[in-house]
Amino acid sequence: MLRHLFTLIWNRKRANLLLISEIFFSFVVLFGVGTVLITAGRNYMAPRGFEPTQVWRLLVRAGQGQKMPRAELDDVLRQVKALPGVQTVALTSNNLPFTFNTNNSDFVYKGRKTPFANTYDADDHYAEALRLRLREGRWFAPGDDGTHHRPVVISENMRQYLFGDEPALGKIFTYNIPGKATKPEDEFQVVGVVDNVRMTTDFDEAIPSVWKRLIPYDTTHWETAAVLVRVAPGQGGMLQEKIARTVAGVTRQWSTEVRVMEDDRLHRRLYTLVPVVGLCLMGLFLIINVALGLFGVLWYNISQRRAEIGLRRAMGATGAGIGWQFLGEMMVVTTFGVLLGTLLAAQFPLLHAFDLATQPYVLAIAAAAGAVYLITALCAWQPSRLAAAIQPALALREE
Amino acid sequence: MLLSYLKIAWKVLMRRKFFTFISLFGVSFTLMILLVVMAMYDHAVGPTAPMKRVDRMLFVNTLRHEMADGHGWMSQLTSIHFVDDYVRKLKTPEKVGITTASANATAFTKSKLLPLDMAYTDSNLWQIMDYDFLGGRAFTAAEVAQAQRVCVINEATARAYFGRTDVVGQTIEIDLKRYRVAGVVRNVSAAQVYAYADVWVPYTLSPQYFKDNRLEGEFLVVLLAPSAAAVPAVSAEYQQMMKRIPIPRPKEVKAIYSYADPIVPGVTRGFLGSEPSLRDDHLAKFYTLVGGLALLFMLLPVLNLVNLNVTRILERSGEIGVRKAFGAAGGDLVGQFLVENLVLALVGGLLGLGLAAGALALVNEAHPIAYAHFALSWSVFGWGMALTLLFGLMSGVYPAWKMSRLNPVAALRGGGEQK
Repeated sequence: MLRHLFTLIWNRKRANLLLISEIFFSFVVLFGVGTVLITAGRNYMAPRGFEPTQVWRLLVRAGQGQKMPRAELDDVLRQVKALPGVQTVALTSNNLPFTFNTNNSDFVYKGRKTPFANTYDADDHYAEALRLRLREGRWFAPGDDGTHHRPVVISENMRQYLFGDEPALGKIFTYNIPGKATKPEDEFQVVGVVDNVRMTTDFDEAIPSVWKRLIPYDTTHWETAAVLVRVAPGQGGMLQEKIARTVAGVTRQWSTEVRVMEDDRLHRRLYTLVPVVGLCLMGLFLIINVALGLFGVLWYNISQRRAEIGLRRAMGATGAGIGWQFLGEMMVVTTFGVLLGTLLAAQFPLLHAFDLATQPYVLAIAAAAGAVYLITALCAWQPSRLAAAIQPALALREE
Repeated sequence: MLLSYLKIAWKVLMRRKFFTFISLFGVSFTLMILLVVMAMYDHAVGPTAPMKRVDRMLFVNTLRHEMADGHGWMSQLTSIHFVDDYVRKLKTPEKVGITTASANATAFTKSKLLPLDMAYTDSNLWQIMDYDFLGGRAFTAAEVAQAQRVCVINEATARAYFGRTDVVGQTIEIDLKRYRVAGVVRNVSAAQVYAYADVWVPYTLSPQYFKDNRLEGEFLVVLLAPSAAAVPAVSAEYQQMMKRIPIPRPKEVKAIYSYADPIVPGVTRGFLGSEPSLRDDHLAKFYTLVGGLALLFMLLPVLNLVNLNVTRILERSGEIGVRKAFGAAGGDLVGQFLVENLVLALVGGLLGLGLAAGALALVNEAHPIAYAHFALSWSVFGWGMALTLLFGLMSGVYPAWKMSRLNPVAALRGGGEQK
């Protein structure tokens, strides 16, 4: 039976070649859209690792090429924390969650190099402000003041890169590109490990992260201070204005900006959502287009092959048998297109394109193949029924 | 001859409505998507208010220091020292204006927070760009020089802060500093990055307004050439100027690079350029890339149409047989079929234009970019028609060739036997 189908297809190879190429391109489109959707969807379902609701970001900038002394900055933060409705205040670096700022470094531990990791500066209240989930060890504490090395907390995936399954607490690692003389504060001692965090967008995977402890009472002068403020539920514009006026009350030279992190998240999300939705719409349109085209071609083919069908019916083939023959022919043609497409798609995981894991690619190939078979089967179903319904006497008389 | 071809084309379209529908669906939706993308592109870089004279404008997007000993490079915008002492001394540009990338600012209204995008500009920028003033005026060179606290706000800010737009002379408090409103302009789309802001204030109030010998800073330079034809001359003079600038800190910095480009090359140079000097603007690469993507996108609908057309030839084998038997050459048949296909593509193209207008109305309703209003322009329309013709030719050539090779004897018998 299958051999017979192949012969039939070979006899009409030119027309089928066009069909196969169309199915091949549809498969490629579905594979591309599928990979994007599966990757984004999987990331979206993964836990975020921190709680951005009821967190505001406060940026304090010194004016006109000036810098702010840490002591004065601490005074401002103390006053902000004392405001009713404010729960925690944490000083950090300006690569805040859901903003477009990033600080990257790669690190090394006993020859084991990590990929580029996000590095954050964080004070002792940072974990409380963002509600990071601690897996091992502890967050920074005032007791760290006297330590020789810089205390750091790392994320779980960072721990995997640096130490594999070995214990991490107490280990010391460094930057990958060593400076001329390694200073003690450039040697990082792990004091804790937290759950993976996804701080870029809702649809990005967890990036390995390192939090370095901000030493209190350091002598650095800041141009811009980024502050996380966790507020009580239900706080709004009133408190935002109060915070801005509190900072202005200490010194008129500094400018402030208070933003709600949830707004940042929704804003940043658009940069992924808009292209993905556009891609899906385009893919959907192409597939509808192809489906309609296939339907038309098959329908037409069957009306062209009435004589052949009539002959087969006269020789004793059942209606259902004819229907299955046409459906089967289409499935074989589809298989050729899908096989070609899979050959192309398989290159992506094999060559590790775009640094993605293998699993989303495999899932996308499976999903695309399933979708293509479903679409062609649906398009072939109605014409096949038409073919099955052909009366042999009528069809043969036409000839 | 052509008329009879057109008549036949119309009859064929009407004969099988379902096939006509499938073909038109493919053509019109493909063109709709391409037209929507083009309208967005045109909106961002085309001559729309306030950048009506964009064909005469050049932009300085970056000043790059290449560090010595392979220590990479730093890309920043320019400083007041660089603008005043070098760029403003150029002879070919008619005007030199400066602005900053809009920065976040905050105003508070009746205990509601109003996030604003603020840009620092000079008075020339208001003459280079054609902002649409609802009331008042731009700030003057004198006001800028005296660093007066004046501002120009857009319509949306005026409505959100004051509740009305006739607010010239009123005071607005931004970042807890008070400014007098000099003018109110119509909203500018955030996609027009060089012109967009909610609030404009004199650059002399900027924290970046100081002069030392640094070349890098936070100011974007916009140059206006006397005519569109003079743009290359301005760009060339800018390059001459860059050669004259002494390299600051020669021990650390190997070379400095900066370019004055029209709007599209300015963007492609930054995005596609990977060499430290950014010497190449990669414009050809950009157009090849975009053209290739558009062709790739059209490929599937075209294949679909080719498939349908090839199938439908058989339907007309009788007609083709008769024409061949009466001496029509292959070329005649190819011509006829191409005309038919172009008519189909043209009808689809017009439908696509209508669909694109509808889709843009939907997009405008959703406000994906602040104050952006996308519209079809004549240039987009022209491109749409060109694409339609391309589409018609691409999907018509192979079936037409096939049709011309039908064996007349077999065709007349109705079998549709193909060579």
